Amino acid sequence: MEPNSASYVPGSCPTRPEPEETGLESFQFRDEIQRLMTVPPENASSFTALLELPATQAMQLLHSSPHSAAGGGDEHKPYSSSSSFTNGNLTFPSNKALIERAAKFSVFAAAEISPETSSVPSNSSANLDKVKTEPAETDSNPDSSNKTQKLAKRKEREKKGKDSAKKSKNESCEDAEKLPYVHVRARRGQATDSHSLAERARREKINARMKLLQELVPGCSKISGTALVLDEIINHVQSLQRQVELLSMRLAAVNPRIDFNFDSVFATEGGPLIDSNIPSMVSPSMWPENPFTGNRQNFQQQWNFDALHQPLWGREEENHIFITPENSLLSYDSSANSASLHSNQLKMEL
Amino acid sequence: MRISARMRHPSSLKQEFLKKWIMGLQRCGFSSKKSMSVMERKKAIKLSADLAMASTRNGTTCWSRALIAKASRNHESKILAEQILGPESQSLKKASSTMPPVICSRRIRSKKILKRSCSSHVRRVRKFALSQKVLSANSVAKRLVQKRTNILKSLVPGGEYMDDISLIEETLDYIAYLRAQVDVMRCVASATELEYEGEKNPI
Repeated sequence: MEPNSASYVPGSCPTRPEPEETGLESFQFRDEIQRLMTVPPENASSFTALLELPATQAMQLLHSSPHSAAGGGDEHKPYSSSSSFTNGNLTFPSNKALIERAAKFSVFAAAEISPETSSVPSNSSANLDKVKTEPAETDSNPDSSNKTQKLAKRKEREKKGKDSAKKSKNESCEDAEKLPYVHVRARRGQATDSHSLAERARREKINARMKLLQELVPGCSKISGTALVLDEIINHVQSLQRQVELLSMRLAAVNPRIDFNFDSVFATEGGPLIDSNIPSMVSPSMWPENPFTGNRQNFQQQWNFDALHQPLWGREEENHIFITPENSLLSYDSSANSASLHSNQLKMEL
Repeated sequence: MRISARMRHPSSLKQEFLKKWIMGLQRCGFSSKKSMSVMERKKAIKLSADLAMASTRNGTTCWSRALIAKASRNHESKILAEQILGPESQSLKKASSTMPPVICSRRIRSKKILKRSCSSHVRRVRKFALSQKVLSANSVAKRLVQKRTNILKSLVPGGEYMDDISLIEETLDYIAYLRAQVDVMRCVASATELEYEGEKNPI
């Protein structure tokens, strides 16, 4: 796709819109980050900028690495394992703003990665008007042995007046992408002793994860401030736990005796086939108007239908966690069959 | 994060949970004709659901281990737990029993010592840097956050032993689990209720 191994064409992003799995990939990405972070324990300020990126943008960056890895570069070895994760199910946000922002970051990535940065901005200039490249950074290729030296030098340069904290973020994240070592970019006017660095890294880690939580819990993305977000999360967890209690009461009250006819099912077929088995043992006596056209579809439709019950959740789920390939089935005409919520009937004796 | 592989197939997660849950319920003695009180049934249902979900995590998350450990320690639920988890989960039980309290308390103690040694140094440095108002505002905010973090720790099983970062990761996983559990249970509950109605009033 690109002539330059290090270049990244942001225009390719929108062609693969699977926004649902973004959250998944972000978790894998963070998995890799964690693994890399354990390598140099003294540099606790790891991936500071990287973790500040939203999951989608982090995914963009991650996607840039397989491309450059193909072109060669042991700079990407730390990420080769992660690229194997992402090769199968890479997803990109269909949100244009996110793509543009991610492309901006990726341009910096390319700028850092190889000295031939001049070609990169021209490739992506179509999408990025506001991008400022930093050719000054290209010569500071941080894959030499004197990493700490360079780190100190870069820090001084930082303090002497970089343009924006954002750029510093990008550079440090590019460093972090390539190397097992992690460098911290000291922003202007901030202390650089190890304690505050470690504190800052810790805080940024926490903030990144809090952002993930915010996306997961409905209604949290608008709130700013850790305490309020934590409030919402606590309320959410409490309400979920209460729902579980209520539902278990319901189940206990309704059925004096439950005789599950699963023995035959489990004995004959394996677990993975359960989704096709359960509907097959359903007797559609209750809902004759709902013939089982596709057993698997029906079974999995109900999960999505339940997701629709909580529309807030459904939206969040679609985007992040509860992604099912059957989301396309969400447009089925289940409204008529709203009574037939559940197609895996359990045979019961009352 | 350890969550990565699991979150790939949420529908299969629900299916796995459902299967394990129902198997656990069967083992509880639900299929026999003996009658139990409502509370007992409810407890059994909830317990088997919890354990089913915890076992899907296979000991990779702290909260699942803590759930299993709590269930095994509690006398009245211990027998049920052993029944539900069944013989194939011996390793799981071993992992959950040994891990959380010992190692985490050690970690926490060392962290406290570290904090104490660091804070005196930091206080000296920062005393003249910030004004009094800013300091107090910061501390108020920190206290608020700390209060809520403690509440969250009490909510998430096994949360008291975790540091902030892993607490948030565990919360993420726990919320996903709770949602799956609620969805599955709601489906089953409505289905059983409908069928109950149907059988009571045959059309």
